[in-house]
Amino acid sequence: MKYIVLIASFLIFTGANIHAQQVHNFTFNDIQNTPRSFNELKGEKLTLIDFWTSRCKPCKKAVPSLNKVSEKYKNRGVRVIGINCDGPRSISKVGPLSKSLQIQYPILLDINSELMNDLNLSAFPTLILVNTKGKVIWFHEGFVTGDEEIIFDEIEKRL
Amino acid sequence: MKRLLSIIFLVLVTFIAQAQFSGRNMAEYQFGKLPSDDGSAFSGLYNRGLVNYSYKEFNVGTTLELFQSEHKDRNYLELTQYHLSYKKNGLKLKLGNYYETIGRGLLLRSFEVPNAVLEDLSYRSRHYFHRDMRGFLTQYLSKNFSIKALYGSVLANTFPPVVSEKLRREDEVEAIYADYSWKKQTLGMSVMRLHQNSNEKYYGMASLTGIVSPTVSYYIEVAKNLNDHSVSNFSDEASYAIYANANFTFENVGLSAEYKKYNRFILGSGINEPPALVKEHTYRLLNRSTHVLQALNEEGYQLEAFITLANYSVLTLNHTLAINRFGKKFTYQEYFAEYAFSIQDKHDLKIFADYAEDPFKEEKNRISVGVNSDWKLNKGGFNVEYEFQQYKKSSRNVQNQLISIGYNFKSKFDISLLAEISNDPFLTEKSNETWFGGSLKYKFNSNHKLQLFAGQRRGGPACTAGVCYEVLDFEGVELRLTSRF
Repeated sequence: MKYIVLIASFLIFTGANIHAQQVHNFTFNDIQNTPRSFNELKGEKLTLIDFWTSRCKPCKKAVPSLNKVSEKYKNRGVRVIGINCDGPRSISKVGPLSKSLQIQYPILLDINSELMNDLNLSAFPTLILVNTKGKVIWFHEGFVTGDEEIIFDEIEKRL
Repeated sequence: MKRLLSIIFLVLVTFIAQAQFSGRNMAEYQFGKLPSDDGSAFSGLYNRGLVNYSYKEFNVGTTLELFQSEHKDRNYLELTQYHLSYKKNGLKLKLGNYYETIGRGLLLRSFEVPNAVLEDLSYRSRHYFHRDMRGFLTQYLSKNFSIKALYGSVLANTFPPVVSEKLRREDEVEAIYADYSWKKQTLGMSVMRLHQNSNEKYYGMASLTGIVSPTVSYYIEVAKNLNDHSVSNFSDEASYAIYANANFTFENVGLSAEYKKYNRFILGSGINEPPALVKEHTYRLLNRSTHVLQALNEEGYQLEAFITLANYSVLTLNHTLAINRFGKKFTYQEYFAEYAFSIQDKHDLKIFADYAEDPFKEEKNRISVGVNSDWKLNKGGFNVEYEFQQYKKSSRNVQNQLISIGYNFKSKFDISLLAEISNDPFLTEKSNETWFGGSLKYKFNSNHKLQLFAGQRRGGPACTAGVCYEVLDFEGVELRLTSRF
């Protein structure tokens, strides 16, 4: 029995066709209390999803760069979606902060970090680039000075 | 039996071949001691690995946690989480471990603090910082209507996995929640049964949220123990929680106003987490100086304004007031201002000032100021941070200081040094106590990251993701490897 389990485990792990992670359609309310889905908001070619919280310094630092991406690529089939993962303590501030920062892409509220957990993500901010089939083709944790160029490079490479 | 296993195996492999396999792992090795501890330094290895399989609308996964040290009574190897879920259109089913919050957490809040590892002074074993549910959840979401029903035992996260599962999950919860939306207004209702040992209590919650205009929104939630008093009884003897929030936005200005009144509202071993309405600061000295919510009796409000000026410079203003009545009235109040701006569109600077009175900690006239700068270089940047804090405590003038210097090369490499100084009489008998540590982060690629810390780390209260907890002092070396696959 022990051997069967060992062989089975080996075959499962070696024989598994490991695909890139996939984003399935999801729906969350936006900051205007309207349900919005991924299918409705995704880009024709690429979708850049930003997982962020209001209390995270690098997340706010990333906003001007993400606004630039949203503006520069909107006519080239690229869309940006912000998934806010603030909990009950700070979720009330997300709307005012987003408006004040003049975020130009849609912000959806995921109070349980459900999408983040589904994708096995664990840091803020995390940026993922998703292709037309919903596959995660690029992943980036954190945001420091110099990361803006990396985002532009990754998008350009895939357009 | 063998034939049956073979068939199951073949079916499984066929599915797996089509499936999506993913996971992540965090391994952390520590060698060191608590500076206050008389015992000698010891080494410990903590590991948490998650594996997930997705097949069409199904997802199955498990989490393995391990702690190994020379102290056998602190060691464990446990499958601490497992789940099976199904999602299609608006339907969601979850079996096993899951996270769920009802409303704004007055009744129930489960959470995960990403990458945070907890160590408790009494157990000295290390475990992941989260509070999940184990049971089932079913939810249906349509355009205007949603309903969910759940059952689960809630994890008491102060206990590490060396403690029996029965003790770690004493609170059993059954709840039903439904909401209906009409013209951007949403009415929600929930009833929850909490069962702990032989005690059984029923709680009810109602919430109303919506948009009054494109610039004004609101949220109101009221929760109450339905057992001991009538629904309309909000006297001092009743157990209830009231939370309200209004948001206003005018072009570049955003304002959030919140009100709370909580009375005898700690449920079970702490399965709920009403919003604290105290700013969760990212500055380390201020984060440590937080006021921890007392849901037994607390009333207050929080006002926060964000004003975005030219070139994404942001002015943040916050005022918090929290009143506790425990025989005597304790009034916590805080005023905070921060200005974040850029120089030449590439160097980032933040300056802050904070004034607070904290009678719980006997801190009078607490003044904190600081600066944080990110100086951009060719392909990286320098970060310098300085924070200073001063207050009166037991007629002594206490000062805390923090200085941090760091350098990063893109997101690839990051090195920083951190020093803290304090003369707090509750921490040291010396004229000054110092903590000095350094950290190094290296990202091999987007999936593998290494972090090294060496030196001393100052502990104390900390708040992350809306949850406050105690961090222990540490002196030694810590190496962490995080991987994704």
